[in-house]
Amino acid sequence: MNPAAGVAAPQLPVMNDQFINAINRRTFLKGSSYSVGSAALAYLLSQDAGAAPKWKGVLDGKLHFAPKAKRIIHLCMAGGPSHLETLDHKPELAKLNGKPMPESFTKGQQLAQLQGRRNQLKCLGPQYEFKPYGECGRLMSSAFPHIGSIADEIAVINSLSTEQINHDPAHTFMNTGAVIPGRPSMGSWLLYGLGADTDELPGFVVMTSAGGGQDQPIAARQWHSGFLPSRFQGVQFNSKGDPVHYVKNPAGVSRETQGDLLKTVNGLNNLLGKRQNDPEIATRIAQYEMAFKMQASVPDLVDVSKEPKHILELYGAKPGDGSFASNCLLARRLAERGVRFIQLYHRGWDHHGNVKGAINTVSGHTDKATAALVKDLKERGLLEDTLIIWGGEFGRTPMAQGNGRDHHIQAFSLWMAGAGIKGGVSYGSTDELGYAVAQDHVSVHDLHATMLKQLGINHELLTYRFQGLDFRLTGVEESRVIKEVLA
Amino acid sequence: MMPRRFLALSILVPVLWTGGLSASVDFNRDIRPILSDYCFTCHGPDERKRKGELRLDTAAGALKGGETGDTIVAGKPDDSELIHRLFSTDPDEIMPLPKTHKKLSKGQKELIRQWIVEGARYEEPWTYVPPRRHPVPPVEGNDWSENWIDNFILTRLQRENLTPSPDTDPVTLVRRLHFDLIGLPPTPGEVNQFVKRWKEDPSACLEATTDELLASPHFGERMAMYWLDLVRYADTCGYHGDQDHSISPYRDYVIDAFNDNLPFDRFTREQLAGDLLPNPTVDQKIATGYNRLLQTSHEGGVQAKEYLAIYFADRVRNLSNVWMGATVGCGQCHDHKYDPYTSRDFYALGSFFADVDESQHFKVGSNSLPTRRPPEIEVHTKRERQRIAELRKLLKTARFADEAARKQVETELAALEKARRKTMITVAIKPRTIRILPRGNWLDDSGPVVEPAFPAFLARNNPPPASARLTRLDLANWLTDPDAGTGGLTARVMVNRFWYLVFGSGISKRLEDFGGQGEAPVHPELLDNLAVEFYESGWNVKHMMKLLVTSRTYRQGSLTSVVLRERDPYNRLLARQSRYRLPAETIRDNALAISGLLRTDYGGASAKPYQPAGYYRHLNFPARKYAHHADDRQWRRGLYVHWQRQFLHPMLRAFDAPTREECTAERPRSNTPIAAMTLLNDPSFVEAARVFAERILKEGGKDDKARLEFAYREALSRLPDGKEREIMTRLFQAAGKEFKANPAAARELVSTGQAPVPGNLDAIEHATWTTVARAILNLSETYTRN
Repeated sequence: MNPAAGVAAPQLPVMNDQFINAINRRTFLKGSSYSVGSAALAYLLSQDAGAAPKWKGVLDGKLHFAPKAKRIIHLCMAGGPSHLETLDHKPELAKLNGKPMPESFTKGQQLAQLQGRRNQLKCLGPQYEFKPYGECGRLMSSAFPHIGSIADEIAVINSLSTEQINHDPAHTFMNTGAVIPGRPSMGSWLLYGLGADTDELPGFVVMTSAGGGQDQPIAARQWHSGFLPSRFQGVQFNSKGDPVHYVKNPAGVSRETQGDLLKTVNGLNNLLGKRQNDPEIATRIAQYEMAFKMQASVPDLVDVSKEPKHILELYGAKPGDGSFASNCLLARRLAERGVRFIQLYHRGWDHHGNVKGAINTVSGHTDKATAALVKDLKERGLLEDTLIIWGGEFGRTPMAQGNGRDHHIQAFSLWMAGAGIKGGVSYGSTDELGYAVAQDHVSVHDLHATMLKQLGINHELLTYRFQGLDFRLTGVEESRVIKEVLA
Repeated sequence: MMPRRFLALSILVPVLWTGGLSASVDFNRDIRPILSDYCFTCHGPDERKRKGELRLDTAAGALKGGETGDTIVAGKPDDSELIHRLFSTDPDEIMPLPKTHKKLSKGQKELIRQWIVEGARYEEPWTYVPPRRHPVPPVEGNDWSENWIDNFILTRLQRENLTPSPDTDPVTLVRRLHFDLIGLPPTPGEVNQFVKRWKEDPSACLEATTDELLASPHFGERMAMYWLDLVRYADTCGYHGDQDHSISPYRDYVIDAFNDNLPFDRFTREQLAGDLLPNPTVDQKIATGYNRLLQTSHEGGVQAKEYLAIYFADRVRNLSNVWMGATVGCGQCHDHKYDPYTSRDFYALGSFFADVDESQHFKVGSNSLPTRRPPEIEVHTKRERQRIAELRKLLKTARFADEAARKQVETELAALEKARRKTMITVAIKPRTIRILPRGNWLDDSGPVVEPAFPAFLARNNPPPASARLTRLDLANWLTDPDAGTGGLTARVMVNRFWYLVFGSGISKRLEDFGGQGEAPVHPELLDNLAVEFYESGWNVKHMMKLLVTSRTYRQGSLTSVVLRERDPYNRLLARQSRYRLPAETIRDNALAISGLLRTDYGGASAKPYQPAGYYRHLNFPARKYAHHADDRQWRRGLYVHWQRQFLHPMLRAFDAPTREECTAERPRSNTPIAAMTLLNDPSFVEAARVFAERILKEGGKDDKARLEFAYREALSRLPDGKEREIMTRLFQAAGKEFKANPAAARELVSTGQAPVPGNLDAIEHATWTTVARAILNLSETYTRN
């Protein structure tokens, strides 16, 4: 150390992490001798949240309700799946196939690409037959027989709407509950509130796959932590190259040498930390340790070669192919290892043209694996505390766009399963053509409130102070838990 | 206890600022934050959400009371409905309502009672009171102060019974100065020189070094790093396909402006309204790129009306965050809930930009790279033009030793002349009609038409109504005129940020929001004086930076004690300097500088360092393939790295650089395993380590002891102590053994990156020292500003 640097302040006895943390907690709770406004206090907390070596969540185990779910797997069907070819049965629309869309539905409404053709709007009948599935006998699209096979596990909501008609802002709304950029995504909120049950893997993992439609871009802002400290942001796992950026040692460096290096860095940082009484350095040492663990645990996680053949077949996954099926299998492995929020994007649902063929293709990519994930989790006893959400950022028009469908925000569908969700039920409905919500409207914020409820969180109480406001995932307007789909 | 003399003095200070000096309750410091947090949502400025006809954010409203009568009776808490409601246990009566989940603590309730006992005086929010110069508090027996900043700091410390920390050592200080002012570490030579001068005369040494650093072209780069965060500068358009757009000359304009010490009021005018100045120069046109920095979209089927509303709000948010320290963006849907800005103010402010041609985006947007974003012009930046003139003159006048020398100049000139870059600018068109969108709903055309206007409540700062429609130039003038506008407030917002840049946090903690939900400044009089100093100096940024770093406060050591940590955990009183991790770009620059790889070319198109393969695979329209620069541009400063909003370089991201979708006035300083892996394994850092190792072997002397000392001196400006040598030696031996057993691995490691691999070094030795160098680059001390 710089010999002269030591003169500035009294030296302290050697400090260990516990001591440093204790001091932090005390000073934080007490504030200080001069007035610290509550806004400042919340800010200070945010800084602590950014630096504490192990984050147990701002709720620190003090949940508002008995939790049903420990983790969430969000199967984000990106691009805007047509509710009319998946979950919303509309026989009346079939009757009007090729006929003009009754103007009473669309008058004064915002349309997307069809805006310029609003005088020639025609109906496009559902492109697939709906059949009863499961003991519940719910009518579901025959294009997704595997999802049909888990009909009794899932609760379908047919009455969602959103506020954004373009992909990027609609995803942002679905993920952050707001359209203004810079708000935290739901996974970040969960990490902030609950922490994660792993210190060898990131608590919020994102994976993507493609196939079946236009590959609409997905921005990393969808899993950003926004104004929350960046440690809560989602970590994207890559299907090609390193599964996590920089997780591999540099070429020519063995795990042993890397370990020696880590020991050296931590040893030297420890000396410095003692000299400077700097808790930030104690945190850094912990984070280097975790980095070293992640360097081993991430490759182990993504190595599915030891999965039995019947499991690979159940999902339809080929190791290393980067498919949605492989990602579903990895999602299970992440769930087993204590990851809090797992988000899978499949970018194949933007069907402006040839919705019939495209649905068939995207079903080939996703149907079997989706059902396999639910079944596999159930088999392992994990479904009971894993909440699965399947759905996109908006729906599609009952009106034809050629032989496809345009973006549609007035109504769309999704399903949930696991963790206290009542299987076999359907909730909410649209009008006879599937244009607008007719009954039991569900907002994106209601969905978020429900999701948080299952994790034991009152959505009004998980807040974060930013720019002087107490933000929450569900925004300022009232939202409600959709109790009707809860067991 | 406070010195008597100062007590007398404080009487001269307006009521607003005396709160911190007395034991009595101070409205702005103690009461307003509570009312704002717990009451204003329903009893604040937003008329539509107001309940019970009660308004508590103004004295008049509070006096008038609500439906249920006398809300506040000065001096008589027991007759005040407010107290009754706050202390009530009846769920139907208690405030705030139980359903809000907001509860006042006992202490907060008592504070409000005390405030009413003392007369329930309201004060105007400090934010909107123009700064004025306060008398500098004299401090008895004070030989500590270097300039008047120190008197304010010391007075407050004395009141708290604290003493400032001793000066730090000169080595720490010269490193601090370099990182703060130019964002680069000092070379060992610079450190030695500073230490020598310091021993002769510390104050003179500090002043001379500060002057040198302020004159360095790297000063502008360092300041630009910050400004670009504020104005959300990026190389891509942000939404949907996130295509590149042409804007890098604007970045260079910002660097030039700080280097040329362009007065901040001119800097403001040129960016907001350069096109409206008489006969605008090229640089002034480039500056108007500010109005084009917002995120835009090319999504097929993009709804023009929807995006016009998004762009409109984006501009108001940024303008108000950057220059006003306000969150006027809230006014998009409703009157501000905590500050006096109305929804009309929001639309009126946005109307200043109604003459920016947005419609071209929708017409000629394309999925090309870069995308087209007219109006654009092709330019040379100021420095480029200067260099071209120099070279031309040289060719005309100089006598060259030989043809090769002439050829070299000709080549450079030819290359420069060709290197014009496109940049987006602002050209005023006939303003489009702006309507207030009810509840922010862009489908609703029923709202009233608004014209540009300044926020109504700042009226006393407003110029008399103009006969002609107000323009962006009027806006820029209003923002920077301390007499006829809000220049004083703008100055206060900016000096608070300069303070943050050299002390680690602002005098008022909230750098982007001085509003009711912000935090009252810890040293209000000091902040005021700095603001006045700023505009009275002619908005002289270098003058302000010099004033700050030549204070005694700046020089203090950063070590803390148990007592100090308890009393002032977040170092708001500045009884010491702060210690914090360097910003992302500086972490990169520092490693490259230590290795010797850093290229310090000035300005130009953005640079592309190594990046994980496939990182852009989610970008489409068109699909993107990233090719890192295979030449010297690889090692440019972080400031110049290609800023892809949707997929910012993972290294920048890992160290909290913002995506620049919104104004960022303060970056978080996180500490994550992802950051650790980045420093350990990102090829840019591994390459820096192996090139550093090459220098250690070639320049560090013959034996390992001398080499380790060389490495420490280069990276940390000091020598290792005994314990450190021991730990490093262990690593050195372990790595050496490993690489000896596996020479192929050694060769692999020392071939990382594209820098030439030296043929004359033993790969095993090189790899071993590379491992030591990696350890050094990963030391907390290496990337911490102390």
